Amino acid sequence: MECKDVEAVLEQEGLSLLPVEAREHLSDCETCRDLLADLSAIAVAAKRIPSEENPPERVWVSLRTQLEAEGVIREPQVIVGPKAAPWWSGLAQLLRPRALAMVSAGILVLAGGVYFANHSPKIGGSAVTTTQPATAARSVESAKTETPAVAQPNAETLSAENVAKKPAGRTVSAGVNKPSQIHESTTKLKPSPSELASFGESAAVLDQAERAVPNGVNNQAVEAALRENLRTLNEFIAECKARLKDNPGDQLTQEYLNMALQQKAELLSAMMDSGRSEH
Amino acid sequence: MERRKMGVRGGVYALGALVFLGCAITAAAGSAESQEKHFTVTGKPVVTLNNIVNGRIEVKSWKNSEVVVNSTAVPGKVSIEAEQVGDRIEITATSLDEAASAQPHEVEANFQLIVPEETELQLRTQTGLILVEQVSGDMKLQSVAGDVHLKEVSGYVIVKTASGSLVCTGCTGKLDFNSISGSAQILQSSPTSLNLMTTTGNILYDGEFRRMGLYTMNSGRGLVEVRFSRGDSFDLKASTYRGTVDNQAPEVLQPDTHTRHHSVSSMAKSLWVTMGQGSARVEVSSYSGAIRIVMRNN
Repeated sequence: MECKDVEAVLEQEGLSLLPVEAREHLSDCETCRDLLADLSAIAVAAKRIPSEENPPERVWVSLRTQLEAEGVIREPQVIVGPKAAPWWSGLAQLLRPRALAMVSAGILVLAGGVYFANHSPKIGGSAVTTTQPATAARSVESAKTETPAVAQPNAETLSAENVAKKPAGRTVSAGVNKPSQIHESTTKLKPSPSELASFGESAAVLDQAERAVPNGVNNQAVEAALRENLRTLNEFIAECKARLKDNPGDQLTQEYLNMALQQKAELLSAMMDSGRSEH
Repeated sequence: MERRKMGVRGGVYALGALVFLGCAITAAAGSAESQEKHFTVTGKPVVTLNNIVNGRIEVKSWKNSEVVVNSTAVPGKVSIEAEQVGDRIEITATSLDEAASAQPHEVEANFQLIVPEETELQLRTQTGLILVEQVSGDMKLQSVAGDVHLKEVSGYVIVKTASGSLVCTGCTGKLDFNSISGSAQILQSSPTSLNLMTTTGNILYDGEFRRMGLYTMNSGRGLVEVRFSRGDSFDLKASTYRGTVDNQAPEVLQPDTHTRHHSVSSMAKSLWVTMGQGSARVEVSSYSGAIRIVMRNN
C-alpha cells in the first residue's frame, strides 16, 4: 500500500478502524503517521464544538403560524373546477389563516402552560432558587453548617460597614449581603447522548492513534517520560469518563475531559515525532 | 629465577600501560567538545533551537547585535547544524547514534546562547533545563521532561511540557503554560494575561494582578494556590469538582455580586469574591485538587 492508498482509506473509512495494510504502511511511513496524527488532533478539536440541536416542534409551529398570519405563506390552494362555490366558502377562505393562527396560538399557550406546570417545581427545588433570594435571607450560621469542607468567610464581611466599602460605580443587586461562601450546586442535568458519544468517539480515535505509535524510541529517558504521562492522562480520562457517566451534565468534568483528550492528542503526536526523529 | 621475575614484572607493566592507553582513547572518544558560533544581526532576531536529543539550553541577553551560540556535545554522537538567513537563525541538534543502548550523556547537546535583549525564541529540548534570562520577545518553549526557568522575560510566552515544570520570576506580558504533570510557579511577576493548565501538577501564583488582566489557572489533580496583596484589585472565581476551596482571607475578600453566577448548573463547589474594584479577572479551577486563596502578610 502506498501513501495515496492510505489517504484514500482515511478519506473513505475515516479514523475508526484502519485495515492491516494501512497500519503496516503507517509503521514505515513518516508522512502518513504525521497525517494520521494531524487528523486525530483535528477530530478531537472538532468534537469539542458543540453540536447543533434541532429546535423543538413548537418553534416550527409558531413560526409557520406567524408567517401564515402575516400572509407570507399560504396553505396550498386546491384548484376547483368551473363549478361556482357557495358564497360562504369565500368567507371561510378569508378566515382560514386567522382561525388557524388563533387555534395554533391557543395550542401553544396550552402547551406552554403544561410545560411550565411540569417543570416549575423541579427548578424551584434545585440550587438555583436557593442560592438567590434564599441565600440573601440565610443567616451566617446556617451557611457555615452547609459548607464544612471549606474555610468560611468572617462574619465581619457581612457588616454594613464593609458593604459600604464597596467601590462606587458598580451595579450591585439586592443581594449585597450574600456571604462569600462556597456555593455547592446539586442540580443534575439529563444525559446528553450527543456529548457522551462525541467523548467516546474522541477517545476511540485517540486509542487508535495510540496503537499506531511506534515502540522502541532510542532516547529511553524521553520515552519513559512520555509513556508515564500517557498513563497519567489515560487514568485521568478514565476517571472523568466514569464521573460523567454518573453525572453527565457536569460542565467542569467535561472541560477537564476535553483538556485531557487534547493533551493526549498532542502527546501522541509528540511520541510519533520522537519515534520518527530517533529512527 | 631473577630473569623470570623480571619478565613477569615487565608483562604486568605492559598490560597496565595497555589498559591505561585504552582508557585514555575511550575517554578521548567520549569527551564532549565545545564550539562557538557568532551571527551578526541587524534587527530583532528570531532564534530557533531544535534539540532533538537531551540537553540544557541557557539563553541570556546582551546589548550587542550579535547572537552567540556555544554548544557542547560528544563528537560522532550528536550533529549540530546552525544556519542564518537574515535575522533568522536556526540551530538543530540531532543524534547520530542509532544504537538503542547509547548512554544518556552521550546523546546530549548543551547550549548557551547570548542574544540581543529583544529576540524572539523558539526552543525545544527533550530532558534538559531551558533557562531564559532578561529577554524581551515572543517565545515558544517546549520540553518533554525538562524544566523551564524564566527570569525577567517579557512578551507572549508559550511553554509546553509533558512533565517539566515552569518557574517564572519577574515576568511580564502574556504567559501560556500547558503541561500534563508539570507544575508552575509564577513569582514576583506581573503578567497582563496568564493561562496555566496542568493535569496533575501544582500551580502557585504569587504575583501582581494588572488592571484588565485575565488570569486562568486550571489543574486537574494538583493544588492551586493564589496569593494576593491587600492593594490588589480583581474578581475571582474558584471552582472545583471533587476538591476543596480554601479561602484563607475571607475578611478582605468581598462577595462578588455584580454578575450572575448561579445560572450555570454543575456539581462543582464554587467561590466568587471581589478584591478592591475588581479590575482584573481571575478564574481558578481544579477537578480534584485543592484550591487555596491566600493573602500575603506584607
